[in-house]
Amino acid sequence: MPDLLRVLPLIAKQIRRRPLRSALTLCGIAVAMFLHSTIDAMRDGVERATRVTAEDSVLVVYRENRYCPFTSRLPQYYGDRIEAIDGVARAIPMKIEVSNCRASLDVVTFRGAPPEQFVELYVPDLEIIAGSVDAWLRRSDAALVGEALATRRRVVVGDRLDAAGITVTVAGIIRSDEPQDENVAYTHLSFLQETSQRGGTGGVVTQFQVKVTDPTRMEEVARAIDAEFARDPDPTATRPEKAFVAAAASDVIEIVEFASWLGRAALIAVFALIANSIALAVRDRVREHAILETVGFTPARIAGLIVIEGSLLGLVGGGVGALGSLLLLRQRPSIGMEGLTVEFTAQPGAILLGLFLAVALGLAAGLLPAIRAARRPIAGSFRAV
Amino acid sequence: MIGIECRALTKKFMKGETTITPLDSLDLVIEPGSFLALMGPSGSGKTTLLNLIAGIDRPTSGELLVDGLDIAHLSRSRLARWRAEKVGYIFQLYHLVPVLTAYENVELPLLIHPLSRKERHARVQRALELAGIADRHDHYPRQLSGGQEQRVAIARAIVADPPLLLADEPTGDLDRESSTAILKLLRKLSEDLGKTLLVVTHDIATTDYAQATLHLEKGRLVTEPGEEQRHA
Repeated sequence: MPDLLRVLPLIAKQIRRRPLRSALTLCGIAVAMFLHSTIDAMRDGVERATRVTAEDSVLVVYRENRYCPFTSRLPQYYGDRIEAIDGVARAIPMKIEVSNCRASLDVVTFRGAPPEQFVELYVPDLEIIAGSVDAWLRRSDAALVGEALATRRRVVVGDRLDAAGITVTVAGIIRSDEPQDENVAYTHLSFLQETSQRGGTGGVVTQFQVKVTDPTRMEEVARAIDAEFARDPDPTATRPEKAFVAAAASDVIEIVEFASWLGRAALIAVFALIANSIALAVRDRVREHAILETVGFTPARIAGLIVIEGSLLGLVGGGVGALGSLLLLRQRPSIGMEGLTVEFTAQPGAILLGLFLAVALGLAAGLLPAIRAARRPIAGSFRAV
Repeated sequence: MIGIECRALTKKFMKGETTITPLDSLDLVIEPGSFLALMGPSGSGKTTLLNLIAGIDRPTSGELLVDGLDIAHLSRSRLARWRAEKVGYIFQLYHLVPVLTAYENVELPLLIHPLSRKERHARVQRALELAGIADRHDHYPRQLSGGQEQRVAIARAIVADPPLLLADEPTGDLDRESSTAILKLLRKLSEDLGKTLLVVTHDIATTDYAQATLHLEKGRLVTEPGEEQRHA
């Protein structure tokens, strides 16, 4: 380590030696790492929103063969029949209105739920960071707004939030680990039913959120619910909440999967940029490496200087790219589709992994030129230039 | 102080289909602490001999003992470490690193030694003062004259205090005034610090400063009748 500290200024001077070449290389690495980190965050967001885990205990009951809140209409009285099924703890009717049914970067989703049931089943998992649940209960047009949506729409407690022809008063801002809660405005069910004016007023909901008593019985309970309504005019399709998101967001998932190939290509670009830059630099410095060996630097130490230079390029360029990605992801971008949200957030682990990859690629890219430089005969190097 | 002994030292290499023999079965003994000038026409093997003694080239055959150590059989890494301790090399074209200041160029050989920043500073400062270039320590090579660059190169060669100094035409690219100053400096280093000094030169003036002069021709030493091949 002390060895490294002693030669770092020398390596830094070598990087600054060709400022334009170094700047272009760093720019390329930064852009590639920005792409990689951002795409990685997208993939991570999709995974978090769609991966069903053993702890999940919520089923979504939707109208069979319907994929959009505008067309999924279920009678509210289904709730009592669902709660009577073995394995169901609670069934919360939910009315959903969205400003845009298609995939979009700025979808506003309203979810109407019966206040008492909402407070009992949802509020314990939410953090109220502004306003209060009491204020939400007192006003019929009140909404508890997810932090990401509030930030995106720049609303605070007391403001009016207007979208999809519905206007609510912000009674509180909520924070949650679930992306669906972060990008939604929770209202009273009756308010949303009356305001939306679509499919009649009371008595019709979009879906039921069903809490099961035992997470290991999710599939069994889902089958039982669908069997219960199979011969009704409005048959149901019941899935775990995250599987429901996965089905609704299948197009987005495919796009993100494709984009992840771009992320991998970005890593190859990082490797190629550093390898090219180092190879040119080593070719420029044949005589200097011979001087270093003449004054006592071993071939391994000279190779080390070159490899560290590649890693430093990776670290600086990758750091700038990761920082850019972090700044973008701090805005908490998300894609909404059919009332559901896939949120892209910066995961420190993913950013650090990206940075590590950039350094490792820099190291690998410097390896071959380093070995070549270390093997070149000294006397021949003086003659070659 | 360090002595050198060459026994049947030969260097050959191929140029196209022709075998070139810059050194041909050379026998030579250089006593510790001596200051020798090595003269001869171009292609006589002067620089090749210097490179072999410095361990930056390898002989084809023969023995080369420097300070009793047969350096011809050391690995490249061990040779580099050995050079760091024992050899200071001065080039005709100075070969300073252009992105480093005079101070940083002189500091280079010390970066591989386990010395504190303070110790390195003291040594660099002393070497710059000995070479008479301390006032230009923060100048880059492009801001220095040829004579000043060569002083920096000499400071770099002596900064790690090696007992053996090898100089390949150190005045070859300098005017008369600068040459004289450099030769005086080399003699001072030999006399005051007891370094063994071998200088390859075309400049006859160098022989005035050296204790003895060797003549090489076609890879062999040219000696007067009765003169032994033991020098200084």
